[in-house]
Parts: sequence; C-alpha cells; structure tokens
Amino acid sequence: MNGPLHRDENVIERSNEGLAALYEACRALVYATVATDDGFVVASILEGRVQASSMAGMASSMQALGDAVTRELEIGGAEYIIIAADRGYTIQLRIPGQPLVLSAVFDSAETVGKGLAASRVSALDISAKLLTEAA
Amino acid sequence: MAELVIMFAGPMGSGKTAAVQTLSEIDVVLTEVANSDRQASDKATTTVALDYGEITVGDDEKVRLYGVPGQKRFSFMWRIIRERAIGMVLLVGNDGPSPIDGMLEFLDEFDDFVDRSAVVIGVTRSDLASSPTLADYRAALDHHRPGMSLPVVSVDTRNRGQMRVLLMTLVESIQTRALIPASASASTSASTSGDSGGEAA
Repeated sequence: MNGPLHRDENVIERSNEGLAALYEACRALVYATVATDDGFVVASILEGRVQASSMAGMASSMQALGDAVTRELEIGGAEYIIIAADRGYTIQLRIPGQPLVLSAVFDSAETVGKGLAASRVSALDISAKLLTEAA
Repeated sequence: MAELVIMFAGPMGSGKTAAVQTLSEIDVVLTEVANSDRQASDKATTTVALDYGEITVGDDEKVRLYGVPGQKRFSFMWRIIRERAIGMVLLVGNDGPSPIDGMLEFLDEFDDFVDRSAVVIGVTRSDLASSPTLADYRAALDHHRPGMSLPVVSVDTRNRGQMRVLLMTLVESIQTRALIPASASASTSASTSGDSGGEAA
C-alpha cells in the first residue's frame, strides 16, 4: 500500500468489490461506504441523497464513540453498531485487520439479521483480499 | 449554575485534546485514531468524535469539557456539541497554515453560536512561531467582526495554570452575559476582553 489508504487504488478497488457484493446480497441496501478510521471516503455505492464525505465522517466518529464506550465499560472491543430508525437502519462494523470501517444503510424491507450477515461477509471478504495481497 | 458545557474547537493541531487533558480532573474520554493522511498534517493521531473531561470550579460548579474534531468532515459533531454548549474556547495554532484565516473561518462556521454565547480565543504554539502577533489577531477580528471584541490570549495548552485562567475568563463571560439582556451582549464581550492566561491583546 502506498500513501494514505483512501488514495490507494488497490484498497479502493477491493472496497468497491466488497460493496458491490453487499448490494448483490441485499437489494434493500440504500447506501454504503468504506471509510478510513479517520473519516476519509475509500469507496461508496448508491450515492444519492447521502453525501459520501459526510457519511464517512459520521462512520468514523460513531466507530470511535463505540470503541470509547466499550473501553470505558471494559467489555471488549466494539464488534458492530446498529442504529434502528423509523424507515430503515444503519449497520457499521470494522473491516478486520484494517483501519477501515464499513457503514451501510438499509431500508426497512430488509431484516437486521440479513443486513448484518451480509455486511459481515463483505467486511471479511475485503479484509481477506487485502491481507492476502499484502502477504 | 450547576453544570456548564464548554466546547473546545479550532483547526487540526491547535491543541484541543491537550487542553482538555490538562484541565480535566477525570480520565479524559478520547476518540483519537491514527492520522492516515500525514501529507495533510504531520500529526500521528487525530480526534474523530470528541474528547470529554470534567473540572470543578468554585464550590460545586462542574464544567464539562468537550473537544471537537478540527476537520470539516466532522462538522456534524460540531453541531451536536454546540447545541449543548454555552461557551467556546477557540484554539488556533500559531504555527499552522494561515492561522488568522483559520480563526475567522471557525468563527464564521460557528456564527450563530458566537452571536449568542461566550467565546474566548486561545493562540497556541506561539513558541514555535512568533508571527502573527496577538495584535494581528485583534486587528483581523476588528475588521471581520467590528463591534464584537473577543478575548484573545496566548496560551500553552500543557500549562494548567494558563488553561485555568483561560477557562475562568470564559466562565466569567458566560455569567456576565447571563445577567444582561441579549441586546447588550456585544458590549459585554468588549468589556470582558483583556488579560487572561498568558499574554493578551
């Protein structure tokens, strides 16, 4: 990897592949992004009413707050964050082994369980590809 | 007043996290992560959500200290914290790129807050860059916001004594504003200007 992650073409490509796979698995996906821990957009899909840079900033902050809460409570690391709303929900989780966060928005047609499972699979796929290429 | 919420804002690298850590009487809640863009800023870490600390002033007034991220991509955190805050310490690193422009941009960004709340400006890292001077900041403020005189103070965010004086200047300003009608607040800002932490303009 060269330079910042959000400008690394390989990381961007693998993230785009992961997001495309997530959309294939869950058509109720409204929007998704992969962002760096410090809030830069790496890749996004279904950009429309959601501004990618804004979503990346929020994803970064939410992840850091989740980590801070679990640290204060001494209950281990934050695995994922779910926010349920009237017309949908967001799922956010870290991409294992990478300073990256996957954040996805689903409409209410999708079950939380399916959205979480698909998001986890995508995050693991992105992680596995990046780790394999780095080895 | 039982509790005060004070926000620490300012450009990246101006010392917001250090300021909260220096002042806080509790272990500070930090949300720092590795800074992945060292070309933009050479800091190793950066705050992405907030810093949180507490300090007691007087007999029983608890002051809640919130540091917010400096980059605009986290501006939603600014909105969240400023809804609760009644005062702001705006920190500006004197060694940063265009520090006066940075100060003015933040004041514009927090325009409504500046109009209704107490604000003090702390110029940091003056040991690393002697220019611009506090008089330069003052002149820029007078030009940009005529009639609104905000305290401008040189501080070392690692120095607890200086930071306490800066904080108390803000608390005094908040309490003074609470005693007078809003229409007179601009003149009150002017009356609270002056010596505070370190060197003042």
